Amino acid sequence: MAFWRLFARNRSAVMGMIILILIFLMAISAPLFFPADPFSLAGQSMSPPGENGFLLGSDSLGRDVAAGIAHGAKTSLLIGLLATLVAVFIGVIMGALAGYYGGIVDNLLMRTTEMFQTIPSFLFAILLVAIMKPSIESIVIAIAVVSWPAVARLVRGEFLSLRNREFVLACHTLGMGDVRIMLGEILPNCLSPIIVIGSLMVATAILIESGLAFLGLGDPNIMSWGFQIGAGRTLLRSAWWVCTFPGIAILLTVLAINLVGEGLNDALNPRLRDRS
Amino acid sequence: MNFKALLMGATWAIGLALSPITAIAQNSGGNLVYLVQPEPPSLASFLSTSGPIGLVAPKIYDGLFDYDTDLQIVPSLAESYEVSEDGKTVTFKLRQGVVWHDGAPFTSADVAFTVMDVLKQVHPRGPNSFREVTSIDTPDDYTAVFNLENPAPYMLRALSVYESPMVPKHLLEGQDPRNSDLATNPVGTGPFRFVEWRKGQYIRLDKNENYWKPGLPLLDRIVGRFIPDASTRTAAMENGEVMYGAYGAIPNIDAVRLREMDGFSVTTDGYAMINPMALIEFNTTKPPFDNPAMRRAVSLVMDRQFLIDNIWFGYGKPATSALSSNFDKVGLYRSGLPNYPATGDLEAAIKELDDAGIMPDADGVRASITLDLIPYGEDWRRAGEYMKQAMKPLGIEVELRYEDVPTWLNRIYAEYDFEMNVNYFYQLPDPVLGVHRHYGTDQIRQGTHFVNSSRYSNPELDALLAAGAQEPDATKRAEIYGEIQEILATDMPVANLFEMEFLTVYNDKLADHATSAMGAYGPFENASITE
Repeated sequence: MAFWRLFARNRSAVMGMIILILIFLMAISAPLFFPADPFSLAGQSMSPPGENGFLLGSDSLGRDVAAGIAHGAKTSLLIGLLATLVAVFIGVIMGALAGYYGGIVDNLLMRTTEMFQTIPSFLFAILLVAIMKPSIESIVIAIAVVSWPAVARLVRGEFLSLRNREFVLACHTLGMGDVRIMLGEILPNCLSPIIVIGSLMVATAILIESGLAFLGLGDPNIMSWGFQIGAGRTLLRSAWWVCTFPGIAILLTVLAINLVGEGLNDALNPRLRDRS
Repeated sequence: MNFKALLMGATWAIGLALSPITAIAQNSGGNLVYLVQPEPPSLASFLSTSGPIGLVAPKIYDGLFDYDTDLQIVPSLAESYEVSEDGKTVTFKLRQGVVWHDGAPFTSADVAFTVMDVLKQVHPRGPNSFREVTSIDTPDDYTAVFNLENPAPYMLRALSVYESPMVPKHLLEGQDPRNSDLATNPVGTGPFRFVEWRKGQYIRLDKNENYWKPGLPLLDRIVGRFIPDASTRTAAMENGEVMYGAYGAIPNIDAVRLREMDGFSVTTDGYAMINPMALIEFNTTKPPFDNPAMRRAVSLVMDRQFLIDNIWFGYGKPATSALSSNFDKVGLYRSGLPNYPATGDLEAAIKELDDAGIMPDADGVRASITLDLIPYGEDWRRAGEYMKQAMKPLGIEVELRYEDVPTWLNRIYAEYDFEMNVNYFYQLPDPVLGVHRHYGTDQIRQGTHFVNSSRYSNPELDALLAAGAQEPDATKRAEIYGEIQEILATDMPVANLFEMEFLTVYNDKLADHATSAMGAYGPFENASITE
């Protein structure tokens, strides 16, 4: 409960949380409000918002922009969460091993991490998706592969500072195994920064997914916001609504996640607890 | 066709151009800056049919013939031709006094060398266009006699400067044409001579003062500019920096906007010799499209007009046969064939499948397939998305697949690992040149791109194709192609979607740029700029 009190002190974080919940609800309820396939040719093409029964207009093939946004929310959130989970998983393992053992293991793992970090992440993601063929799985993998180094470095730093603390040394004296110390003792103590960086990574992942879909590297069989914008960008002068509304959806989602991430940081970081 | 009358017509037209009345209307001089998109890899039109080469090289070279906008033959380097009774000897009388840009005279030796040693050897379509040519005799400097194995009437449609440019023997002989200096430093007999190629920026051609058509070309200079970004190209057109852009250099969406503005025009003329056709290739060797009923049903359900209206901005014409309706001009096109509804006929498509015993399962699905799409831009993706929706009520579940160009080409033409592929082909001015490659058993050539990937093989059709290629009599030939089209409308190894219309956007100051059927791939000798 103390956590919630701390979190609620940050008004913009609460605001972000509300927006995020609404977007979640939209994603879950999309099949209820828009039971048809979002790709279906629902009616008159290029209808402006509010006309011909299209709340937010229709695109060049007569697809409902509102249905696309509702169904696209699921794709964006799903990809954002999945990619982040995979990235955090890889990052934690790499960082924990490097930080805990140090020496040659640390050297090896950190040089590998740096190798990944030297490649511009978005270009690397494009390359990976192009090689693996665009699909949900390949996009999740690509985003995870370009995102984990940041987590790895963070976790390594935490492990480095914690591994010589008294309670860890005590564990050693008690004869605890390395795995148990890492997972049971050190990791819980560095969860807060991982949660914060993870929440921000969801936003980045959504942006990368949208960017890929915009460039035509999304899964062609799944509706997403980036796809909608990419498909509508040639119409920008004649049908502004096709890419404007999905753009707003991305903006709101990413903003909301960032606000929540900021709020988590404030609430979880003991040094910032008294900031107001 | 009455060649003599045409010849006289041409002479008369040249006479007119020289008369004082037209001299006022046609301005001599001026520079034309036009869009060449993308930058060509070389200017070796004898080696590659790549589009951007076609935008430049035909201004430098000449062909034996040109073709007017009704696809009729217009004499160029050949003043006249004669086909022997049995169709196996074609004699060309060449124009006298024509010189290459370097001053050497053009003779029949150049013609024999070009066809036998260059086009027949290294040109992508040359081996097909000239496949019946066994030898070329040159009794004198201005006569070239083509000896043919079998009659080849279609060959006379492949002699344009774009398809078969005449190249100088004295500059190529003894070299490998694939690696010659001529590729980047072309020397032709055409209306403009090559001056400069600044990589990444422009190609400059200047007027050939010794051109054999008196008084032509009218322009002093033409400059082909390379502008990689589409919106920059449109802006350059809008502010008058460039005056001409063809083959989609200006995207359709911008073309329809410029069309409404003063000072710009948009035309679909100048593509009749290219004859582009959007189509679906079916893999006829494996389920579900080994069943012709499935193929017919897909053709029936397609709303071709929807594709044209919503994705290609109204430019295009629903296909109604294996041949484009452009072949109507030469009498080969047959109308009124079944299975080609312009706006889609779901009921007929469902009936087709029901009658064939292809029934939906408990989920209403009759077949699940993957649709491959030509990776040449957004329009094709939209088309795929439309088709997926169109086939759903038919009980065909579609997965879309986009790949990069080499992977896609390999999948379709080497691995044959596909079910249904959306593509477009150039049908070219004669079916032998552009259409036979889809259907003939001899065109199942694993690894060769843009041939019979359906692996459709029908001995009856093969016999008709062979007969059609050799039949010199126009009426009989039309009959043969009629039959071919009937068979293909029923068997449907390929479902044609629509006759594509490429757009040429030009500044109204530019006149007479499309006097040849070749359009943007033509010589531009009549083009002029009025201020």
